[in-house]
Amino acid sequence: MTALRTAALAAGLTGLLAAQAAGQDPRLERLDPDTRIAVAGLVDSARASGLPAEALIDRALEGAAKQAPASRIISAVTTLLSNLRDVRAALGASATAPELEAGASAIHLGVRPAALTRLRVLRARQPLTIALSVMADLTARGVPADSAAAAVLALAGSLRDDQFLAFRRSVERDIELGAPPAAAASSSVRLGAGSLPMSNGGTSTSMPPRRP
Amino acid sequence: MFERDDDTLTDVTARVAASLKAAVRLDAALDARVMAQVSALPAHRPGGWLGRAWSWLRRPRTFALSPLAGLAAAASVAAIVFLAARLGAPPVGAPAGGDRTPVQFLLVAPRAASVMLVGDFNDWTASATPLRTAAGGGLWTVTVPLAPGRYRYAFVVDGKRWQPDPSAPPAPDDEFGSPSSVVTVGGTL
Repeated sequence: MTALRTAALAAGLTGLLAAQAAGQDPRLERLDPDTRIAVAGLVDSARASGLPAEALIDRALEGAAKQAPASRIISAVTTLLSNLRDVRAALGASATAPELEAGASAIHLGVRPAALTRLRVLRARQPLTIALSVMADLTARGVPADSAAAAVLALAGSLRDDQFLAFRRSVERDIELGAPPAAAASSSVRLGAGSLPMSNGGTSTSMPPRRP
Repeated sequence: MFERDDDTLTDVTARVAASLKAAVRLDAALDARVMAQVSALPAHRPGGWLGRAWSWLRRPRTFALSPLAGLAAAASVAAIVFLAARLGAPPVGAPAGGDRTPVQFLLVAPRAASVMLVGDFNDWTASATPLRTAAGGGLWTVTVPLAPGRYRYAFVVDGKRWQPDPSAPPAPDDEFGSPSSVVTVGGTL
């Protein structure tokens, strides 16, 4: 009977460890053990908070693919988790995963959470992902964060998602032609929604045509 | 008839009494033999195969198991749990679901021997999404169906050189030393 109890105990412990290992995303096996443990903890924390854990896994995988040092991967994932928390606090509990991820990009670039809250108010029953993405993309193109946020907020009540993407292309084109980023954004806002190209349906937006 | 001798009768009675009073030595295996006989007797069971099956399931049993066999059994359980978790995971390269929009990715790389697309949509797996070039013109393309969302991606040229998409917005945070790009796919987000 002692042997039986020992075997049962071993089975229980092994099963517990296996269940714990199975709960961890198998894609994280690409990370080195220390990084994997740290990232898995952050992923668990995100899941427990109802935040999109997939974004954290993607960021860790990107770091691993680029052979970034462990410290950078952990730092990037930690920062992303913090930004996701800030975005959810700004947008509310009903924010979707794409909205949270797009908002995290905007906040990472310096957009203030209050601008996100204002956007939520202005586009109360509409998805915010495209508007937040445009805010982040403009900032990444060199438009100051406050100017990008102000531009998007100014248009938030009147533009559809596809028009927001057209607005972004308009700003990018002006920047490529040599306009200062802040001026390019404000001039596109002044032109307003009326001058931006419209799509047929306005409910679905695909990739803009790519230039070779 | 025979003649009765009181002394003899008393002597026989005493001997019988003494033999009855003597301690009886039982075989040590008697209990096991009796229980085996009892178990072999036909027991009252509910009628039908279902009742017999239920009775069979409820009958307690004692197993002898070595620690090694126990560990082997535990390892088998662990393997099953692990494989079930793996099989339940989404396949590499599969977007999150929902309506997917075909998105074309282009890169002009006339001197490249190979170009791969890596990003959030294929778990940053370098071999998952190769681009193709038509007639060696240097224009590399691939079309990937993507669910609505915002994705980071980059190109890997000749298996070693990371390159962002020059025609797409840059990813806002270049924390890993080689920049990525961003594509936003619209729809119900």
